[in-house]
Amino acid sequence: MKILHLTWEYPPNKIGGLATHVESLAKAQAKDGITPIVVTCAYSGNHGFEEKDGVKIYRFDADNIPAEDFPSWALQMNTLMANQASEILNDNDDVAMIHAHDWLVSTAAITLKHIYRKPLIVTIHSMELGRRGGIYDDRQKLIHDLEGRLVFESWKTICCSHYMKDAICSAFGVSWDKVEVIPNGVCEEGLETTHDLNEVKAQYALPHEKIVFFVGRHVWEKGLDVLMGAVPEVLEKNPDAKFIIAGRGYTTDKCRQMAYDFGFADKVAFTGFIEDGVMNALYKVSDVVAVPSRYEPFGIVALEAMAAETPVVVADTGGLSEIIEQEKDGIKVWPNHSESLSWGINRVLLDTGLADYIRKNAKEKIKNMYTWSVVSKNTNELYGRISEEYKNADWKAVKFVSANQ
Amino acid sequence: MSHTEQQNLNQKILEKIIKQLNLAPGDIEYSKKPKNVVLITPDYLPRTISDISLQSKQLAESLVHKGINTHVVTFDPWKVGFSDELAGVNVHYIGNSIKSYSPLTWAITTGMEIGKAVADIYHKEGQIDLIHAHEWSMFPAGLNLQAAMRKPLFVNYYSLQEQRTPGINNNFTEAVKQIEWRGSKLSDRIIVNEEWMKNELLKFYSPPEKKVNVVDPTNINWTKDIARDYSWVMKNWEKWRYNERIQTTQ
Repeated sequence: MKILHLTWEYPPNKIGGLATHVESLAKAQAKDGITPIVVTCAYSGNHGFEEKDGVKIYRFDADNIPAEDFPSWALQMNTLMANQASEILNDNDDVAMIHAHDWLVSTAAITLKHIYRKPLIVTIHSMELGRRGGIYDDRQKLIHDLEGRLVFESWKTICCSHYMKDAICSAFGVSWDKVEVIPNGVCEEGLETTHDLNEVKAQYALPHEKIVFFVGRHVWEKGLDVLMGAVPEVLEKNPDAKFIIAGRGYTTDKCRQMAYDFGFADKVAFTGFIEDGVMNALYKVSDVVAVPSRYEPFGIVALEAMAAETPVVVADTGGLSEIIEQEKDGIKVWPNHSESLSWGINRVLLDTGLADYIRKNAKEKIKNMYTWSVVSKNTNELYGRISEEYKNADWKAVKFVSANQ
Repeated sequence: MSHTEQQNLNQKILEKIIKQLNLAPGDIEYSKKPKNVVLITPDYLPRTISDISLQSKQLAESLVHKGINTHVVTFDPWKVGFSDELAGVNVHYIGNSIKSYSPLTWAITTGMEIGKAVADIYHKEGQIDLIHAHEWSMFPAGLNLQAAMRKPLFVNYYSLQEQRTPGINNNFTEAVKQIEWRGSKLSDRIIVNEEWMKNELLKFYSPPEKKVNVVDPTNINWTKDIARDYSWVMKNWEKWRYNERIQTTQ
């Protein structure tokens, strides 16, 4: 079965988590006998065709698109993407369906769906409504509308958690049975590192210090400021704690200022962006990973930490609530609540027995439920169901478009 | 001799006569006329935003008189999803429910609706022979349909961004100019209303001069010129082949 994936980013072109998700899924699908074809933007002019790990990748040049802003750039990119995908679909009559990832490819996906009358599967990774905590301006409204339209046009919509399913159904008024929950996976091989763990730790902390690690974009929904609020109470009970903050964003300066204002700047290290190898090493040397998100459709950071056998303390919200079982494979705390977060971090740091118990259970859970082979199996099962429904449906192309030339 | 063989022979004799008489390509008007044409236009009478409305209506009705099955896909927020037959022309009205905060975002999100409407026409009719896009805002949809359906694309320029906002070079104007440029580069035929526009188009976007046809809508037989052009492109289209054309235009 050939599947056409539409995604605006694909490694090595990585902007958010979408690139890793689509790559991991496509690679796992290739192992399962599916032929994934990926259409994506080129990076640094490197457009063209490449076949890697069984995945056929077509990159088109999207470098020099003048645009007023990001949504307008994305829409223009979609017209180029539709043209590139048309060539592939015209040459591959046996592509079974189109799989679109997020609003960024919406107009291309919807146009292609109708021209070729192929089933459209959509994965909604997150929603504008949640990313900004509401819809406040025209640009956000455009994105929100495109997300809704994409879901409406899809045969089935995939999301990563029941929390997201609920959000999608209520925000866009789609029926419950249209949305399927397939949790994300984590690639354990991807968490390996060649860095010396002691050296990495020594860059940011003293040997005796216990590391509390945060990684993610420094934006409102990730709740870094909530973690900053928790620092004093953690230090009160664990004076050896050291907070390592990776990533960057518009709240970085505010949080850095908080560290100075409250007098614990020496206990917080802001690393900025770090490469994957360093990040993986930090997961391994950390004593606890904090995920204090206000909005989290899934929570891949928690999975990565669990795979690295580091206890996690997460906000009891979104997908995180569904991943973690309280005090079995992690600690759940109240979202947007620094005091509760400090309680959770202290709970792990002060009770090494509990920390070990969490480590063991978390690792087991990852192996059984959150690998990409599981994600691929669930997604392929869904393709199979859609394929059967499509066979019995009246909605089909009269004849293949390119045969009419 | 079968009927089909007789027809083929007649066609060959006709082409030989045309060649010997050294006639212009357009003079073989009805030898290869399209059966189904789709015009995509931002407005269509009675809804009037610009001259495009009247011109596209005159063209569509004239094509119907010439025996060409003509579909018009146009924007009308009051008649979304509705189709009508006006003077023999099949008019399909589309809307745009996406919040479009600029002409650029409007053009592309509307292009998605046009793509859907034209696809529905295609799957109903079983064939579309030619697509004619009027004004830059229709070009993204036209170019997508051309690439997917591998059918000839005509584009109509009524004005250029450089004329509408002379000397202003911001991200918006640059984006529109790039769309206009892509239209001139990838289309199969360009129609403009006057010689001056042709020169302006050649100056700013440098399409091959022979691709540009000046059709003055104040002339009595102006729609006939376009119909001839359709026939000429239809005839040559089969020779050009899609991929060859793409290679030469890139």
